[in-house]
Amino acid sequence: MITKTYGKESLREAFGHALVAAGERWSDLCVLDAGTSNSTYSKRFQEAYPDRFYTAGINEPGMIGLATGLAMAERRVAACDMAVFLHHAYAHIRAAARQGNDLHLLIAASHAGVTVGPDGGSAHDITDLARMRLIPNFRIITPWDGRQVRRAVEVVFEEKGFYYLRLNRPRLPVFLPEPAPFETGRAYHLHEGGRVTIVAVGDKVYNALEASEELGDGFADVIGISTLEPLDSDMIINSAAKTGRVITVEDHMYAGGLFESVAGVLAMHKPTPMRRLSLGRVFTTSGEPDELSAMFGLDTAALVRECRAFASD
Amino acid sequence: MFKVKLEELEEKAYHIRKNLIELMYRAKSGHLDTSLSLVEVWLALVYSDFFQFDPADGSWRERDRIFLSEGHACPLQYLVNADLGYYPVEEVFAGFRRPDTPFQGHTKRSLKHGLENSNGSLGIGLWQAYGQALGVKRQVFCIAGDGEFQEPVSMGLLSVPHFLGAASNFTLILNNNSLAQDAAVEIGPIADVARLYNWHVMQVDGHDFAALDNAYRTAVDEGDRPSVIICDTIKGKGGDPANEGRLGFHGRPPQTGEEYQAYIDGLEATRRN
Repeated sequence: MITKTYGKESLREAFGHALVAAGERWSDLCVLDAGTSNSTYSKRFQEAYPDRFYTAGINEPGMIGLATGLAMAERRVAACDMAVFLHHAYAHIRAAARQGNDLHLLIAASHAGVTVGPDGGSAHDITDLARMRLIPNFRIITPWDGRQVRRAVEVVFEEKGFYYLRLNRPRLPVFLPEPAPFETGRAYHLHEGGRVTIVAVGDKVYNALEASEELGDGFADVIGISTLEPLDSDMIINSAAKTGRVITVEDHMYAGGLFESVAGVLAMHKPTPMRRLSLGRVFTTSGEPDELSAMFGLDTAALVRECRAFASD
Repeated sequence: MFKVKLEELEEKAYHIRKNLIELMYRAKSGHLDTSLSLVEVWLALVYSDFFQFDPADGSWRERDRIFLSEGHACPLQYLVNADLGYYPVEEVFAGFRRPDTPFQGHTKRSLKHGLENSNGSLGIGLWQAYGQALGVKRQVFCIAGDGEFQEPVSMGLLSVPHFLGAASNFTLILNNNSLAQDAAVEIGPIADVARLYNWHVMQVDGHDFAALDNAYRTAVDEGDRPSVIICDTIKGKGGDPANEGRLGFHGRPPQTGEEYQAYIDGLEATRRN
């Protein structure tokens, strides 16, 4: 339930603040960016700790390679970029993950999803979750608001491993309490209901909570996913057993994203009718973020409609 | 200066070549010709008196690093590390290209075994190696192939000193054996490009221990710029002379007893000379 909001902040801006705080806490932390530091807000870290910041230039594979090498030199490392450009670096990301789990590497990808807006389809990364799910060892972190970004960044630098942090562009409502809940690998049960289960990822968790309020008490069981890999399957299976209907909502293509993750779990353990709010196998278009979210059926209104239709099936 | 006498180093080169032939003949796969081309390059480095390592403590922070970017040369890496005392050579023969051993078809990182980086796809390890050089004070050497520089991302590394800063503790060893998998390669103006981007560039006979020693020493002494040493080598060197420097043997070691014998005869002939 959303009890209160605390203004607006973009996930990427919160990330910039979180990086500076992590830099103060961890003197070994190095940060790299592939020429987008004013978009990812890694520039904040550069200003605070210039000798621990490397600008790799417009050179995504090289940035990931350098970041991997620094991590192999026993540093904590964050490599930052706009999500869509990391397509260039896929072989290098896979090669990083093959070095072994004693490395400590965070890849922070801003500008995921259609909410990039007017820059258009070339700039909308709607397949990043699918790509990262295909690489063993990576934990995929999908925060819901700025406060959870800050907490997640604190947590991921405490435990070695490979992390992919999905961030996006627009200013979003801050709605979690401080400190925000975040444990790697744990899903959160956010609203009690019996008619339909909503499983939401990233910024769509806020829409899921708005929708559950509109649907009224006892209607939607809401599960918030802040770690897509490894997925907290038990909570989803238990909720599906209770409601018998599961809707997923994600700013991502259904292929390889939240929908297929959840469907895979349920097909194995608790076959349940499902619907999805997600993007199809399409290239998207320019538009304002809210306009695109409505157009692709990813906003709160679409979720309310879909829940009602599904529950009355 | 080497840690052992030159004759001893030459003897080691002979034994390692013999084991390379044996290892890959038994496995019926592996990149023998690339491995043969790098024997002197690798031995000259690890037996240089400046080169620090500890086989009993592979993750010793004060070690000098060798990243292998052209990962298909890993059989040589496995045998050299056995010679250095990381593990008995029998373990390589038992585990080469077998499930879940440290001696995979391409290197899997294991510091305990002296294997600094997992590798495979070309154009990646050299970036990781440069990143390592930014993060450590010791020397970082990276062995890359000439064919590997057809990957544009490899060429991109040459521009790094220009925009990211010069890691003077980094040395790129370019194995210039003029052959890739399915075609001859020619490195073109790489040396000129590297100079323009502020590398210390050297070019040596990659089968000449003394020349290699001199180049490595110069690279280590270089305090301002990273170095690149272009090592002119012969693919398949010291095996079947009929196959030396010839296309068609990339990843194809001797398959029959007859072919195997031709490699051994070739090797023995070089020893007599």
